[in-house]
Amino acid sequence: MRLENVWLRYHRRGPWVLRGVDVRIGPGEVAVVLGRNGVGKSTLLQVAAGVLRPARGRVADRPRRVGWVPERFPADQPFTVARYLTGMARMAGLGRAAADEAVAGWTDRLGLAAFRAVRLPELSKGTAQKVGLAQAMLRPPGLLVLDEPWEGLDASTRELVPELIDEVLAAGGSVLVSDHRGETVRLPGARHWAVADGSVTEETPLPDGTVAVIEVAVPAARVAGTVARLRAEGHQVLRVRPDARPAPPPAGPGGADRTPDEPVAVDGAGLAVDRAAGEAR
Amino acid sequence: MIALIRLRLAGFLRTGRAVAPLLVGLVALGILYGGGRAQPAEAYGVSAVVLFPVLAWQTKILLDVEPDVQRRLAQVTVGVARERLAGLLAAGGAALVTVAVALAFPWLVGGVTGPVDPADRSVPVGVALGLWAHLLVVPAAVALGALASRASVGGAGYGVAVLALGGVGAVVLGLTGSVAPWLAPPIMAAARTTAGDAAALTMVGLTAWALAWSAAAVGGYLVRRRARG
Repeated sequence: MRLENVWLRYHRRGPWVLRGVDVRIGPGEVAVVLGRNGVGKSTLLQVAAGVLRPARGRVADRPRRVGWVPERFPADQPFTVARYLTGMARMAGLGRAAADEAVAGWTDRLGLAAFRAVRLPELSKGTAQKVGLAQAMLRPPGLLVLDEPWEGLDASTRELVPELIDEVLAAGGSVLVSDHRGETVRLPGARHWAVADGSVTEETPLPDGTVAVIEVAVPAARVAGTVARLRAEGHQVLRVRPDARPAPPPAGPGGADRTPDEPVAVDGAGLAVDRAAGEAR
Repeated sequence: MIALIRLRLAGFLRTGRAVAPLLVGLVALGILYGGGRAQPAEAYGVSAVVLFPVLAWQTKILLDVEPDVQRRLAQVTVGVARERLAGLLAAGGAALVTVAVALAFPWLVGGVTGPVDPADRSVPVGVALGLWAHLLVVPAAVALGALASRASVGGAGYGVAVLALGGVGAVVLGLTGSVAPWLAPPIMAAARTTAGDAAALTMVGLTAWALAWSAAAVGGYLVRRRARG
């Protein structure tokens, strides 16, 4: 599946949330969508799932069967878990017997068996989220789109999510998943898409041990506090110098291969920080 | 798609929000038939006019009961076209039930009478004309209600404004001597026809007009849905 030059905004005069996004994902591949809050992760996922239509550009070769797990399951519906899931299974094209079987299977697997006769609005957030997960899996999807799937789930179900993803991948499907809790360490083979300023870039994981140096300028009065905070976050502070002129490469790991394109301190005191040391935590 | 229609109708009935428009419809019909006995064709023509805003409101409620995220889930599951169509068909089905109630209502409260004069129409002909007038209203009301739904207009205020404008507009623009009668569905003209000579050609023309208006309104609804993602 490919997103080709996708632009999207929510209102005619609103800001662009996605600007010219070009990404592709193949069968058997999983991509983790990363980025800070409000940057457009959900928007990207909803474009991929076919919920949102791009203003410009197109989504090509989207698999016919898409399972979408929204960030918040819409629990404000007057159905029991079983009635709702059966309805969704029938909607997905399963016959009566197949739908009943799929609902029984998935409610058992996700620990929802005891909640089959419970009405959706009475469910806790985590249990409702499991119903959201179940409805996407009732019919094996060719594309599974998971928006913060770990949110509110108990430990045993959190473990189950990578298992479900693996099953979709093994069947030749693709999976897109967003996460801001760091749970995606459970998906070691995943590609990483970073969303920022409306565009998506693929982050290629660096080999272990690679480091980079970032030079940061801070007001001189805040040097001690900043150094302490960076160290507390696990970064290695290489040195502190009093002026903001570009410095020759500092001694230490990574310093030797600094290129002229790397950011330099422009004001106040300069700090050289070993970034990868922090990331490798 | 049948599953989606059933799920939407079930959601509409189970929340109890189906009661309000039905109750308002019955009260309006009660007032209408409380004024005295009338012949079926005449009474049903007016009943259809009264029912137009009620059915549009009922459609809006039916479509609005479903949470926005659930509507998107339905769209992902069955596709865009079938998601839209299922909503309109569910609303149409609910409207037909209300129409059946409206057609039976005057017989239960003694609001209609048989032919008094030899020139009067027989009861079956009167009922058939009444059925036509009501069926003419259904697509137009469903289209107006869809246009006023949250998925189409967003905020609740706009939806109510669209409903009010459509309901009042259909009556005002449908009055004899209106400058732009084609802007509204021909519910007033249909009422005049059932009460008057009910010429076949006029009825065919009005049916075509009602369908064209409904198609245009549904087109507007689809454009709004598309624009809103």
